[in-house]
Amino acid sequence: MLHKNIGRVLKYGVLISTWGLISTVVIQIICRFTPIATPSWTEEASRIFFIYAMAFAAGLAMKSNYYVHLDMFYSRFSKKFQHLLLMAIPIISLVLFLIMAIYSMRFVMLGFAEKSPSMGFNMGVAFFSMFIMSVSICYYLVIKIIKNFRK
Amino acid sequence: MIWVLVLVFVVCLVLRFPIAFSLGLACLSYLLVKGIPLIIVPMKMYSGIDVFVLLSVPGFIMAGNLMNYGGLTERIISFCNHLLGHIRGGLSLVNIGASMLFAGISGTAISDTASMGSIMIPAMKKEGYDTGFSCAVTAASSTVGPMIPPSVPMIIAATLSGLSVGKLFLAGALPGLLLGVGLLFTAYFISKKKNYPKHERSSLGQVVRGFIDTFWSLLMTFIILYGIIGGIFTPTEASIIAVLYALIIGLFVYKKLNFKNIQVVILDSMKTSASLMVLVGFANLFGYILITEQIPQTISSEILGFTTNKYVVLLLINLLLIVVGTFMETIAALLILFPILLKVALAVDVDPIHFAVIAVLNLIIGLTTPPVGVCLFVASSIGKISIGEVAKSGFPFLIVSFVVLILVTLIPEISLWLPNLFTE
Repeated sequence: MLHKNIGRVLKYGVLISTWGLISTVVIQIICRFTPIATPSWTEEASRIFFIYAMAFAAGLAMKSNYYVHLDMFYSRFSKKFQHLLLMAIPIISLVLFLIMAIYSMRFVMLGFAEKSPSMGFNMGVAFFSMFIMSVSICYYLVIKIIKNFRK
Repeated sequence: MIWVLVLVFVVCLVLRFPIAFSLGLACLSYLLVKGIPLIIVPMKMYSGIDVFVLLSVPGFIMAGNLMNYGGLTERIISFCNHLLGHIRGGLSLVNIGASMLFAGISGTAISDTASMGSIMIPAMKKEGYDTGFSCAVTAASSTVGPMIPPSVPMIIAATLSGLSVGKLFLAGALPGLLLGVGLLFTAYFISKKKNYPKHERSSLGQVVRGFIDTFWSLLMTFIILYGIIGGIFTPTEASIIAVLYALIIGLFVYKKLNFKNIQVVILDSMKTSASLMVLVGFANLFGYILITEQIPQTISSEILGFTTNKYVVLLLINLLLIVVGTFMETIAALLILFPILLKVALAVDVDPIHFAVIAVLNLIIGLTTPPVGVCLFVASSIGKISIGEVAKSGFPFLIVSFVVLILVTLIPEISLWLPNLFTE
């Protein structure tokens, strides 16, 4: 149930951020061709939507194996070593993203002291996208590790 | 300490870690050994992704996927079949012609091989073409995609160098067409020699109907180019216009899109983009480390110490990029090597736009270069034959690609004529 809900949150996060990105860029274009002055916040808003869309989608990309790797040498390894790699790669990758998640929170704290130039919101909100990105990748790496051990 | 960075990166790549994670782990190891605060990891990741031009990447990927879901691939193939099917080896020419038209929509070679191959390889096999030849034509023709605008690798090159996306799109167009025409002639001569089948000539009415059917999708490429080059839209705005346009065409003209598959396309496109952006983020950190260690300067002075002859330098760069392109994904290779090599190219007076075209062309030719070209892998898995057989049949196409590469390297006007024409 929790697994499904996390997947749903990420999915809706991607969809909302993407439609937000499309809408803000459309506002920008419409204002350009009409007498309405282009609001100064559109560029900043579209960037935030984009970064959040990427942050939510990064975990889903992990789940669906979208990250490309080099296959050149793998097939030449023994079956035993391939099996070992299958177990070790997600664990080592998890360490990377756990460290990134921890330091992302520190990055968020730093952002609390800053305000965004045109929209005036707290930059911690924008930097929080890095935490979402690393935690969502961590989550699907843990799922992968559990599946591998069960196999 | 730079050896830690390089060693960990190479070891991770060889052990089949995702390329983005290999970069991340290499950077992490370097930072730990050097005792640099790790907060730099999310910081550089964020600043690497927070670039306005990069917003166009998911837009173009999404527009291409929406068009594809709307039944564009089949329509393009059908139009090319009416146009080229009556010539000897018609289906192989259709395969290349459709890739050239589809290129304007998809923008990436691997997605082109997968989407075109899943239709064309079985169709060619059914008509009696060798499976190796069918796979080789599909793989070779898909390399045209990243050259003809809109091109994701060109957007990345623009992001890394600060060059105009519009100029880079234009610069890639002529080399892309040259490559496509070269592949068409090669396929024709092989087909004639092997006496591959040809179809009945289509009537003018059928050709016109086929054109009208694909017109709306072809118009998208024109809108994107005209909008960016005419200074009407930024590349990001052009990509969103392309998304809206693809939505309207898919919903109201082709009538194949609905609420459900639009969400599927968005999710799929965003997952592809996110996997690229994680790579971009870590590459930004990787680039930062290389700069602090003065690696671009060192490599530049090493190469220039060896020779200052422009053509020898370009030859060395071509060799390096072809080798890297055979085993590494285009965007990843571009992110890691382009800023370093651009410095060398600029030192020997190579125009940066010309160099960007050379770099992208090298890397995409690498995708079909044995033993590990990624497009060869994709095509061989669709055709269910060994990569060796595809590589053997693809050899003539590879030779043509190298000839185009040499021409593009030696004659800058092939790349620079269009951008100069439009900016003047």
